[in-house]
Amino acid sequence: MGLHKESSVNFGFADHLSYVFGKMMKRTSYRYLLLILGFPLHLIVFLFYRVKRKNDTYFTIRNKINTSLQTAGLKEKLIRDFKEQYVRKHAFFQEKVDEQDMNREVERIAQERYLKILAEKVDAEYKQQGFVKLTYISYFQTLIKKPLFLIVSLIPGILMYILLFLFSNFFIKFIFERLVMSIFVIAGVSVLVFTILYLSPFDPAANLLGEAATKEQIASFNHTYGLDLPYLAQLWNALKGIFTFDLGASFTGNEDVAASIANKFPITLTIAVFSLLMAIVIAIPVGIISATRQNTFLDYSFMFIALIGLSIPNFWQGLIFILNFSIKMQWLPATYNPQNMLSIIMPVIVLGTGLTASVARMTRSSMLEIINEDYIITAKAKGLNERQVLWKHAIGNAMIPIITVIGLLFGDMLGGAAVTEKVFNISGLGSYIVDKQFIPDIPAIMGGVIYIAITISLVNVLIDILYAFFDPRIRSKMKQL
Amino acid sequence: MNSYKKHALKLSREYTQANFAWVLSFVVCLIFLVNSFNYKEGTIKSFVFTIFLVYAIFTMYQLFLTWKIKKDLLKFGDIQPITRKLGYIQLLSILSANIFTASFAFNLIKKKKTPEYTFAVFMVFTQLFVIAVSTFNLFKPYVTDTFLPAMGVLVGILIFQIVTLILVSKYVQDESAPSWFLIITIVLIITSLTGNLFNLLLGISLVLKTRSHDRSRIMKWNTMWNKITRNSTAILGMFFIILMLSLSVCSKYTFDYDMAVENDYGSLLQKPSLEHPFGTDDFGRDLFSRIIFGARISLLVGFASTIIPLIIGGFLGAIAGYYTKRADNIIMRLLDILYAIPGILLAIAIIAAFGANTMNLILALSVGAIPSYARTMRANVLMVSNYEYVDSARALGSSDLSIIFKQIVPNSLAPMIVKATLTIGGAVIATSSLSFLGLGVEPHIPEWGNILKVGSTYLESHSYLAIIPGLAIIGLVLSFNFLGDGLRDAFDPRMD
Repeated sequence: MGLHKESSVNFGFADHLSYVFGKMMKRTSYRYLLLILGFPLHLIVFLFYRVKRKNDTYFTIRNKINTSLQTAGLKEKLIRDFKEQYVRKHAFFQEKVDEQDMNREVERIAQERYLKILAEKVDAEYKQQGFVKLTYISYFQTLIKKPLFLIVSLIPGILMYILLFLFSNFFIKFIFERLVMSIFVIAGVSVLVFTILYLSPFDPAANLLGEAATKEQIASFNHTYGLDLPYLAQLWNALKGIFTFDLGASFTGNEDVAASIANKFPITLTIAVFSLLMAIVIAIPVGIISATRQNTFLDYSFMFIALIGLSIPNFWQGLIFILNFSIKMQWLPATYNPQNMLSIIMPVIVLGTGLTASVARMTRSSMLEIINEDYIITAKAKGLNERQVLWKHAIGNAMIPIITVIGLLFGDMLGGAAVTEKVFNISGLGSYIVDKQFIPDIPAIMGGVIYIAITISLVNVLIDILYAFFDPRIRSKMKQL
Repeated sequence: MNSYKKHALKLSREYTQANFAWVLSFVVCLIFLVNSFNYKEGTIKSFVFTIFLVYAIFTMYQLFLTWKIKKDLLKFGDIQPITRKLGYIQLLSILSANIFTASFAFNLIKKKKTPEYTFAVFMVFTQLFVIAVSTFNLFKPYVTDTFLPAMGVLVGILIFQIVTLILVSKYVQDESAPSWFLIITIVLIITSLTGNLFNLLLGISLVLKTRSHDRSRIMKWNTMWNKITRNSTAILGMFFIILMLSLSVCSKYTFDYDMAVENDYGSLLQKPSLEHPFGTDDFGRDLFSRIIFGARISLLVGFASTIIPLIIGGFLGAIAGYYTKRADNIIMRLLDILYAIPGILLAIAIIAAFGANTMNLILALSVGAIPSYARTMRANVLMVSNYEYVDSARALGSSDLSIIFKQIVPNSLAPMIVKATLTIGGAVIATSSLSFLGLGVEPHIPEWGNILKVGSTYLESHSYLAIIPGLAIIGLVLSFNFLGDGLRDAFDPRMD
């Protein structure tokens, strides 16, 4: 982009589009995408291009140079050179030279080299005469620069132009690519989870209707829930259901799965978000203190406690909390109750412990790495005091990897919520999935797992975007395309 | 001069370990003290209080040793022989099962410590603990038929190990060992079948030193193990893991499986006593035996669900990292899908589909862990494949496969091993969590999660049923995490 700005003073929108087009055509996957999206347009332009190419000087020049090179005997000379190299190489490794193999190999290498030299010569000649080599891409680029063409072709090539527009700004392009990627991941997750449940050897109909069920009853059950359809049809229904938030009714209780999930998701998310906040508020200061007082008693104790926090199973911690704070001291209620805000404290602490511990450890190691960097030493050498160095130069950079880790661990936390929810008797999404797995209630489990996965993907997309926004290194990397 | 001595204090391995030992010993003391009072009746439990007193004495002595070491270091710059001699008294603390002070004492009495010495010390500790734990069976009304012969063998091995320890501390040098150690080595490796992997480590180490004349190899081995053994928490973690392993092997012969699974309505929900050290559960099953047998499942699931993804993920990651571009894209994008589902949720989905049993549990946990191993491996391979020796192998005409598996993979294994050690703990937690939800190991098998599940219903009246299995889980997981941290520090070249 920068380069282009320098070369043309009248930097117009059409010029920019043409530039982006040229850049995108260099990447195979984008090339196909552009050609497919603008197919009707490309069809017409290509016909014009064929006509134009016939009159182009390029091919005449190429023919001229080709004959001149052939008369000079370049190819024979190349073959001779390569043959000699081949024989020497084999002599060095003390291998036998097979005449036929050698000829074939040498011929191939010589031909490659010959074509390369030819192309170089033609290009040089061409440049000397002051022409631009005519290819389909350059032809199309010159066309886009003409406003009239742009207006005429806007309707048939609208999809392609939208893509070009999206890619014309590196930041929009990044967000767009990231979103497309997560849509693929979400689709992949849906297919995977559905397939796992489809392969299940259990028969929900028999489990639900009991052993006394007749064949007709089972068949009608399977028909109601579409379980008698072939794999692909069921998969299609499931995917459609996931993306339209309509997963049908669950096998037991005949309740609307999407609605139940929507009812149970808020509490799971609330607890997870509070745990996350707790982790950030506690872990980051602890990590920074540990790093700045490395190898002191305080550091050892913090890290020891953090490691214990990592090693405690959620459910055991929950039980011990209930035993001490609910049964023995009677400070907090043992089970969750939406009306009583006090009852959310224990679940939040239990769910957040592991995250707090890992973030504290991560902050410490990230800080230690930064503190030993050269630029920190420089800052100290220039006379900044500890506090300035720490707050102005170290912490900002140390936080960058921690944000990613928090994003990843947030996923684990949503996944692990099932255990905590069971201990505190919270009717969230995690315990919903666990309750439904005995039948197995396919739509409910699938919906629960996939919507959690989608949430996690979106959180990670958000973090990546924020990241790109704040980290100058990533921004400059993105600009390079 | 003064700063040199302060430096000696900082550098001294013994001083750090002395501090570590007394702090932990003190913490254990406090725990015993808190538990030695019966708060409701206001009386003292004499048994627990006696244990507290014993621990308190050794902790005081440990404090004295720490003070003495500090004085020596500040005054002379190194520890005086008389202080080292004083360490012999602290050896007695092994009788109170105080592993912290006892292992410190062994470190103190010997000035030049080879890795073999540490292995031998912990080998003896492990054996002592296995025998001590098994001896609790004597208080039971009956023991298994194999109890006496098994205990005989264990004690025999212990005597052999003590002899080995003395020989090792006398004759094994930093770089070599006398060749007659080879006979001991063979016996060591055979006796490691009892699950005491310190035997195996010591055996391998001795083989290396008696047979190999490659000094650089021996030095490399020494440096690595010195780093690990210097780290008190890492070596203690390793000790606990190997103790659990050894117990789960030996328990087959020294413990009665029926006590752990057969109902005994004559002794329901009994409080801890000598016959039932951890009490009994609602079916009258002995909790102590159940915990011991539970270690087996936890270790099995933990190791299996780490090794399977390690191999599959490692292979995929190596391929993706070596054949960049297309293979990389396809493999990593497919694994991204797997990575988007949290491990526990994926495991729940798989178990919901295929049923709850140990085999499915291992598979379910393995599948979810593949992507993270693949990522680690890929990052390593990307780094390693740029090194000169890979280029030279290619120039010499090695095939891609041989380059990957002979040059690249061995050189990118270290971070994988560290990662594996750190994730075994996670697998142990996941196993017990799923069992607790009724989604893991079958309910009739004594597994820590299952035991906890039963215990959680008696939280109010018999809380020890829930507390003890949890402590076992934490102990094992903490050990793996300590060992993993130690390994990471040892393998990380930046720590040099």
